[in-house]
This record gives sequence, structure tokens and C-alpha cells, in this order.
Amino acid sequence: MTTEPLLLAILSNRLDRIVREMTNTLLRAGRSAVLNTARDFSCSIITSDNELLASAEGLPVHVIGTELLAKAMTELHDDFREGDAFLHNDPYLGNTHPADHAILVPVFFEGEHVFTACAKAHQADCGNSLPTTYMPGARDIYEEGALIFPCVQVQREFKDVGDIIRMCRRRIRVPDQWYGDYLATLGAARIAERRLKELCKEYGREAVRAFIRDWFDYSERRMIDAIGKLPSGRIVGEARHDPYPNLPDGVPLKVTVTIDSAGGKIDLDLRDNPDNYPGGLNESQACATNNVMTGVFNSIDPDVPHNAGSFRRISVQLREGCIAGIPKFPHSCSMATTNIADRLVTLTQAAFANLGEGFGLAEGALGMGISYGVISGEDARYDNESYVNQIFLGSTGGPGGPVADGWPTYYLPVAASLMYHDSTEVDEQKYPLQVWEKRLIPNSEGAGRQRGALGSKVVYGCKNNPMTVAYTFDGHENPARGVRGGMTGQGSDGWKTDKAGNRIAVPMAGTQVIVPDERLVSMTGGGGGYGSPLDRTAELVAHDVSEGWVSIERARNIYGVVVTESEAEKRLYLVDEEATRKQRANISAVANPSNS
Amino acid sequence: MTFRIAVDTGGTFSDVVVTNGETRQLWVNKALTTYDRVFNGISDALTVVSEEIGISLHELLSQTTLFTYGTTFSTNAIITGDTAKTAFLTTAGHPDTLVLREGGKLNPFDFRGRYPDPYVPRRLTFEVPERIDSEGAVLMPLGEAEVVRIAAELRERKVEAAAVCLLWSIINPAHELRVAEILKRELPDIPVTLSHQINPILREYRRASSAVIDASLKPLMQRHLREMERDLKEGGFKGQLLVGTSFGGVLNVEDVALRPIYTVNSAPAMAPVAGRANAPDEESIIVCDMGGTSFDVSIVRGGYMKFTRETWIGEQYTGHMTGLSAVDIKNIGAGGGSIAWIDPGGLLRVGPQSAKSSPGPACYGRGGTKATVTDASVVLGHIDPNYFLGGRIKLDYTAAVRAITDNVAKPLGISVYKAAHAILAIATDNMVNAIRSITVNEGLDPRQSLLIAGGGAGGMTIGRIAELLDADRVLVPRTAGALSASGGLFSDIVTEFSASRRTDTRNFDYDTINADLAKLNAEIDAFFERIGTPRDQQFREFFVEARYPHQVWELDVPLRGSCFNSRDDVEAMIEGFHAAHERVFAVSEPGQSVECIYWKARAIARLPKPTLKRQRTAAIGAEPLSVGDAWFGGDVPEQTARYDGPSLSGGASVKGPCVIQEPTTTIVVFPGWKASVLQNGDYLMTKEG
Repeated sequence: MTTEPLLLAILSNRLDRIVREMTNTLLRAGRSAVLNTARDFSCSIITSDNELLASAEGLPVHVIGTELLAKAMTELHDDFREGDAFLHNDPYLGNTHPADHAILVPVFFEGEHVFTACAKAHQADCGNSLPTTYMPGARDIYEEGALIFPCVQVQREFKDVGDIIRMCRRRIRVPDQWYGDYLATLGAARIAERRLKELCKEYGREAVRAFIRDWFDYSERRMIDAIGKLPSGRIVGEARHDPYPNLPDGVPLKVTVTIDSAGGKIDLDLRDNPDNYPGGLNESQACATNNVMTGVFNSIDPDVPHNAGSFRRISVQLREGCIAGIPKFPHSCSMATTNIADRLVTLTQAAFANLGEGFGLAEGALGMGISYGVISGEDARYDNESYVNQIFLGSTGGPGGPVADGWPTYYLPVAASLMYHDSTEVDEQKYPLQVWEKRLIPNSEGAGRQRGALGSKVVYGCKNNPMTVAYTFDGHENPARGVRGGMTGQGSDGWKTDKAGNRIAVPMAGTQVIVPDERLVSMTGGGGGYGSPLDRTAELVAHDVSEGWVSIERARNIYGVVVTESEAEKRLYLVDEEATRKQRANISAVANPSNS
Repeated sequence: MTFRIAVDTGGTFSDVVVTNGETRQLWVNKALTTYDRVFNGISDALTVVSEEIGISLHELLSQTTLFTYGTTFSTNAIITGDTAKTAFLTTAGHPDTLVLREGGKLNPFDFRGRYPDPYVPRRLTFEVPERIDSEGAVLMPLGEAEVVRIAAELRERKVEAAAVCLLWSIINPAHELRVAEILKRELPDIPVTLSHQINPILREYRRASSAVIDASLKPLMQRHLREMERDLKEGGFKGQLLVGTSFGGVLNVEDVALRPIYTVNSAPAMAPVAGRANAPDEESIIVCDMGGTSFDVSIVRGGYMKFTRETWIGEQYTGHMTGLSAVDIKNIGAGGGSIAWIDPGGLLRVGPQSAKSSPGPACYGRGGTKATVTDASVVLGHIDPNYFLGGRIKLDYTAAVRAITDNVAKPLGISVYKAAHAILAIATDNMVNAIRSITVNEGLDPRQSLLIAGGGAGGMTIGRIAELLDADRVLVPRTAGALSASGGLFSDIVTEFSASRRTDTRNFDYDTINADLAKLNAEIDAFFERIGTPRDQQFREFFVEARYPHQVWELDVPLRGSCFNSRDDVEAMIEGFHAAHERVFAVSEPGQSVECIYWKARAIARLPKPTLKRQRTAAIGAEPLSVGDAWFGGDVPEQTARYDGPSLSGGASVKGPCVIQEPTTTIVVFPGWKASVLQNGDYLMTKEG
């Protein structure tokens, strides 16, 4: 090591801070709700050798693999220089999916390319053939319709390349909103540029280069140490995505994880998965890679840095033309960041749970459902102004883990609780939307020693003109499973009610046009449990009953906990210890008759 | 003689600052906080001061005209859960607002954290049948019978306070007001907080959170403030009692008792007030207040303190947001007690674990074996083990050396001095990161700013912080050991009124906005009238919180006045917004229209400020107490003088490296710096060369 330990700590802190500053810029200055409320974006710093260096607070699904974007920049543009910026959203060239617009800014110091700053943000609209950024039914990229920018120059000498801006303004719905988001994203990358130059000036280029080397080595040592705490072995995780348009049986998915504890290596093999199909669920290379890696990082010490150094110890085997691999052009990857992506994350972490007590996580609930719909239309309150945006109203339930219950603000496995959810009032002010109900669903958790989080129910309608809602599901037929004796969470669901309140079924992926008096109902799934519910601390079960999360019957029948209402306070439930001991013994005896 | 007293009761110490109006003298003292009866600790500290003055405590109190009381009482009550049993009434269909908060998490890969409980348990949350829409129309009338039933249940379940937050009450408050009427009728003794009154902002979580926090504090704070008033009166006090708020000002006891949430986080909000008073002409000031377990940063720019709407009690995302506009304090859990450790990759880390006050740093000799920041300062010779906190605690040098050798120096294979230096450097680096996060967000350049240090440990680290920030001027006020308390001496009566009203600059609604502003102005008039502020001491500031179309986070923009007379006034506001956006986010969009969301009026009743004279009479000059070894990064010690602060005369200047010992703080002057004693007794450190 050539960098003093002290400097190593200080510079890594500094990089972290720069990424956080980028993040804050994008969050606050972003125009569309996807950015400024849901924070569906991420920022990272990449070395001049195209290795991911820093990514604090970035969505896992966005960040890992960002180096592929920088690689496209250095390979396609041999003359890039200071003042340039590139727009990249090409899923066949390293991006996640077309709705994620990445801005890349090469950072120069003393005439030398030292870093690439990258800010990537999910757009409210990306010019698809329908007003949604998720196109489950698109047979190919042509039918999908998004404008694709294979790492195209968008700024020269710190000024916009007007051609590109005009193309986007012509083809992207609500162009002012897009341009505002573009400015925010660019601002984040430019702020990083400013700070990174200051950093180089302060410490000198050579010290910074030495630091990068040493920081990667340090991160690799941390990863070796973390893998050393896992048992060696091969585990296979399997799951199935729900049936979809063009996929009547859903998608069977499989990951083979090989852990070499002594050698400090993990291999993830995704090659044994179905081929690409004519529809929007195909994974991009960046997503397939980062999803299974996220599953790994969810299962080890979270303090291990997430950069190219720790990534050296993970190998991912992908196959070309595979639905969970490298997409074959022109198959559509419109939904590469969510559906199969979510499955891969949660499948991998659940596979780790098979290693033994204390490892891995249960499956988290998935499927965006109607409460994450992309809404569009014209708002009669503001002179019929057009709007299009994704809303984020109700989360899915997070997975139980070895020490903690799932979080009800999980959103999706790929988002891992990082996102914000919409304020009802903000949504109702910005869009002609009326949110009638938003609540957690009692008894929807996957029971366990650490239980999954509850799913949520959201009911909404529109105020004036008809509203178009595009949505996609998963987790209805195949809800989030528990691990190590933990139970499955309640599945997701959704329907429409008409004026009279009659329930009308809706397909699992599609578009609904609603008028006032009609309502859409979204039920997101609960997370899977970790460990047997009979081992859950009885006081926690009583607390869940008091709070209305778990019914008295469910506490008794599933958790084996008998509660009584407190004499001092109505609706406060306490454990009946004697009755609980008996009840738990009875349930165990029924489950394991040989032991009694 | 007339005196003024300012007090800050913290978790551990109660700090007092006393000034004499005639002689312009100033006294600072500390005593342990007494939780059962807060006044006892204060009177302990004041008794020592009164003895120094040569009068009795009763005489001191009876000659005191103004007593400003800053307290962490409410903040502590929230943290320890000692608040009232509070019910939360909200719109039917939306019972989980407090459970779900706004989302967000710091580390996406960390699944070990427990999801936090809501501020009010779900079993005390009640759904009220009613619905108003974003335009104020009633979609579903209020189910009054259900409210009556809820009231009966609250009575039966012995609820002590209630908060009401209904959707869109900021646009149409009729339902909230009616619920309050019914509760008042059914439960006359239970205090009620309405969300649209305590914090009329968009976003149901923030408004609800303000309401429940406020309601839960009412019984307790009303009791506490009454008790304080009574104790003071019994002690002989006949003057005016004012209470510190999170606006960085003070308010009458009656106003605070009605809105006790204003006292939450009020103590740190007083530090920038003190900072501003200590350097009134500075364009930008960074105030750092460091105690044993926590480091607080705030900034003052052009005489204005920076405000935020995101104050968390506890951790970001998992704590509770007050939702109020308040002085922006960036807090990190770093201090003298932060523990140094080596991670599995061989990297030295400091914190977030702390040795706290028990067992405390190894050098406290109370059984602590882990290496802390204070131990590092002892090993480096920055702290004299015999003169810690004015000699009140004797430190164990050998224990400090052992802790750092065993936990850091040996594993890393470096000398104990290098190890101690590294611990201090990493701890300061964490602090510098906190400073950068608040300054860059405001586009403020630390290099051009004056740093002000406060807190018992502030003087020891501020020099290094200045080095890392590349700042070249540092002020350590002689009141550094009680910075927040001294802020109380210089504070004004400050309160805010606000209105939610959306308008767009493309189609600016002059009449409605001017009517709203006129209403705010009238509220200020009534406020000044009520507290009897002379006309020439009345000041008003008006702000708009605005954003570009489609954005949802607003920026504060000051207005020229309280009325938009012409398009010119609107254009000036738009220009102000573009400039603020450019400063904060590095981009702006000239020509784009601006959406105005909230209108805010701040009323300031200026209070007379004490003028202080030089404290020092003994003009001994710059003679050190001793000269000894201290380390500043290398393995070779530097000859370092140690001065007794109070005996340095005004105008004296000492060269670093040296240490100045004050009764409530220790100041380390690093090599390459010098410290000048100002005429008023403050220390100004400047970089030489």
C-alpha cells in the first residue's frame, strides 16, 4: 500500500460526500415526481479505467454496472474532452433500460482524463409508443418506441448540442419536464466534476491515482473477509415470474451460487434461464449483473464498500440471448429494471438463506402494481395541461432477515427502501388524482421469527378528465416466499370498481382509462418471513396485535401466541405466557408428531 | 445594578451566562443538570456566579431584568418517550401517515435495522370520516357522531393530548376546526393541536408530525414552564422570562406553552445566534459546537441564519421530522467520546460508537479500555491531564497511552503518537464532512468564511478543521464553553406566520397573494401589540418558498416587501429564485416560470443587547505556565507553551504550537497559526504567512 491509512480514510470519505452532493442536487432540482419524490436515480464516480469507484446512496439496480456506460464513452469517442457531456440510455451498450437517461461527464485535471462522473435518472417519459416508461407488451425495440441514445454527445464546451435537445423535445411527452430533469441530472454530474477537480488540485494527480488503487485493494480485502465468513458450497435458487402477455406460464428463473469461502470468491451463474422472448421483460446485461450482485451484497456485511475492488471477488456468468442475460437486439428491455430484476435480487438473497441460520434474507414482495402506475392525461384544473408521470403510492412488503423484520417502505427489491413514496397531497395538487385510501393490509405479512412487512392497499380515482393508467404486476400467483421456516407473504392484487362499486377484474399488465366515479384498487404483497413464527418473541407478536397488524386469531394459530387485552388499557394486548407456551407446544406437536 | 441571565440546560450540564448592565461584565458557569427539578441545577451554577459578584442569589435574581431560558427538556422527553399519551385523528382511509413517514434509507444493503415505531402508536390513531379535496371542496362531510364516539373512547382510555391532521386542512380548515370544537366540548381538559394551525404546509406527513409532536409536549412543557416561572419568582425574580425556540429566537412563556414544539432542538439553534453576535459584520460564518458526544454545525450568511424544513429528532429517515421551518443544524454523533477501531480491511475508523460518559474515554480511569478522541488529545499533549475542564477531572495519561497502543498503534504498526494523530485527524475529517454538507448545499465557500468554535471540545479541534477547510480565520469566543446559552443574551423575540397559497408567475394572482400577505402582516401587528413591542424595535421579513414547474422541493426567496405592487416586484422575486437555484444546484433555467407555494412572514421584536467590556484586568502579558512536548502529526514532539487564558491581556498574541487553557474549554493553536486575544477577551486564530 502506498497511500497512508489516514489519507485512505479521508479520500474515501471525500468521494462519498461528492456522490451525496450529486444525489442531493438531483433530488432537489429534479422536475418529475420520479426524481424529486421517488428518487429513482443514482449517481456514481467512475475511474478513467472505467471502474466503479464510489456510489453512496445509489439505487443498487442503477449503480452496479455504471462502468459499462463510461466504457462506451471512452470506446466510441476517442476525442472526448473537457466540457463534453454524453447522453446514454442504450440497454444494448451497457445501460439498464431506455427510460434511464444517464449523463456522463469526463473529468479532466491538468489535461488528463481522471474520472467520469455519471448521473442516471429514470425519466417520466422517454418517447415510448404508449405514455409509460414500462412496455410489457412491446415485441421489440421498434414497437417499444423509446428514443435510444447510444452514448451520444449532448454537451460540447459546457453548452448543449441543440440537435439532441430538439430531438428529445419533439419526441418526449411534456418536454419542459424532461428538459428540467435533464438540467438537474447534468447539474449533478457537473457538481461532481467541480469537486473532483478540487480534490485533484488538493492532493495531486499521482496521490489520487495511488489512492484509487489502494482503495480498490482495501475493498477487495473487505470482500475476501466477508466471503470468508460464509460456508463454502453450491446453492441453487429457483423462482417463477407470474404469467404475462406472451408468457402464459410466466418465467422460471434460476441462479446457481458457488461460494469458495477459503478462496474468497463467489460465482453467480444465470445461463440456465429461458431465451429472450418478444416482450418487454428481457433483462439488460447491466441489470442481470447487478441484480444477482445486489442479492449477494444484501447477504453480507453492509459495511463492505460497493466498488470495482469488492466486485473482483464476484463473477457473473451470462448467456447471450437469455431473458436473464445479455439481450439479443432488437428484443425489448423496456422493463429490465423491475420485474425479472426484482426476482433475481430476491431469489439470490433467499438462496443465501439456505447456507444456514443467520445467512441471507427472505424474499421481498415484488410487482409494481396499480399503486406505481404511470398516469397521464390532461388536467382540467390547469387549462387541460398535459401530464405524464409515474406515481409511487403504496410500497410492497420488505423481507424478514436474520435480525430484523421487513420494512413496509421497501418499494421493490431493486429499490431496497431507498425511494421516497408520494405524499397524497402533493400528488393531488400536481395531478387530477384523488387518493381515497392508503393503508397497510393487516395479516398480509409472511409470518416468521422476523416477519415480512405488510403489503399496502391503495384506492384512487381521477378528478375531472379521463385518466390513463399503465401498470404491471408480479407476485400475484407467486408471492414472496419465506425462508428457514418463515412463511409466504400475501400475494399482490388489483382491480377496478365502477360507479356502483362493482368489482371489475383487470389484466396483470396493461392500461386502464378511468373516469370520475371509477376507482382503481391496488393491493401490494407482503414480504416473506425469516425463521419459524413459533420462535418469534411473544411480546413482538402482542405488539403487532395491539397495533392491528396481526389479528388475535392469527397470533394464536400461526405464531402460537395467546394474547389478552390489558385491564389498564383497551386495545393494548399482553402475552398470556402460560397459554402461549401450551399453544406453541401443541402446534409443534402437530407439525412434528414424531417428536412427541 | 441590573443583570441579564441566559441559561441553557443540556442533557449533562446547565450552562449559565450573566451580564451586568452597568459594569458590562460577563460571567460564565456550569453545573450538572438536575432532571427532577431543573431550577436546582441552574441555581447551583448561578450561586457560584453571585458569589463572584459578591451578592446573594436572591439579590442577583431580583436585580435581573431579562432571563432567557434555553432547554433540551422537550427534545429529551421525545427521545426518552416521556411525553403525554397522545391520540392522532386523521382522515378516514389514511391511518398510516405516521407509520410510513416519507420513506428513504441510508444504506440499501443493510437489512439489520429495525423499522421505527410511529410517533403515535396505531392503536391511538383514529380515522375520522370526512374528505376535502385539493381545491378545498368537501367531498365527504364530517361524520360528527363518529368524532363524538372517538372523544368518548379517548376519555375512557385516559388519553392526555390529541392532534388532528386532516387532508387539505391547509386549504379548507373547516373540518379540523369542527373536530377541535367537539373535542373541546367533550374533553375540555385535553390539549389539542390542529395541523393547519401549528404548521400550515403541504405534505400530510410533515404536518401530522408537527401536530402530534406539539400535542404530546403540551401537558409536560406547560407544567415545566409553570414550575420554572414559580421557582424563579420564589427566588426573587421579577423580570421578563423568555424561552428559546428553534427559530433561533425567544418567545414569551405563554406563546411557547401554546406551541411547545418550538422548543424542540432550540438549544443548538442558539449557537448561530451567538456566532452572529460575536462577529456581526462577517458575510459568512460557520459555527461549530462540539461537546462530548455530538458535533453541531450551523451557518450564518449575510446576517441570516440558514433555515430548513427538515429537522429530524433522531436519525434521518428513522427518526421523527418536526416539519417546521427552523434553524438548520447539521448534527453528527462525533465528539471526545467517539471510539477508534480497526475494520476487517485494516482501515482506521472513528465512531459512530461512543464511550459516552460511562465508562467514558480510557483516560477518565473509569474502566474504559477503548481508544477515544479525548485519549488521543491526552497522548498528543493537547490536553493537560491535570487541567481538564478547569481541573475538575484528573485524567489518567497512562491509560490513554495503553488504550491507543493496544487498539490502534500495534495493529497498524505505527507509533502511539502517529496513531493518536490519525484518530484525531479522522474524527475531524468526519466533522469537516458535516460542515461541507451544510455549506455546499448553500453554495457557501468555507475558505471565505469565519469559523466560530463552541462547546467544551470545540477549541481543541477547530484548528485542524480550519486547516482541512482551508479557512484562515477562527474565532473562539470566551463564552465558547457555553455558546448556546450566550446566544440567549443576544437573541430577539422571533416568530413566524405562514400561508399556503399556490400561484404561478405566468399568471400571478396579485389580489389573492396580496390579501394573504396583508393577513400575515396583520397577524404580526397583533403579535407585536400583544407583547408590547415599541414601534422602532419591530422588524418584519417576508419570504416565498418557490420552485420551478413540476418540482416539489422549494427554495426560500426573500421578498422586497409585503405587497406586490407591480410586475417589477414579481420579476425581482423570479430573479431571486433563479439566483438561489443556481447557487444551490449549480444550474438555473432563466425564462422559466416559477411556482410559489408558501408565504412566510417572520416577526422580530428586537431586544436590547448587552454591550460587553474587556474582562481582563491582569495584564501579565504572554507568559506561559509551562513549556512541554506536544505532537502534531510527526513522531518528534514540538516545544509547546501552555498558557492560562484568563491571565492573558487583551491585545496579546501567542504563536502556535501552543495551548490556551480556559476554565470551560481548551484551545489548541496549531503550528503555523497564532492566536490574538481581542479586547473583549475572545480569541482570534489566524494562519501565519
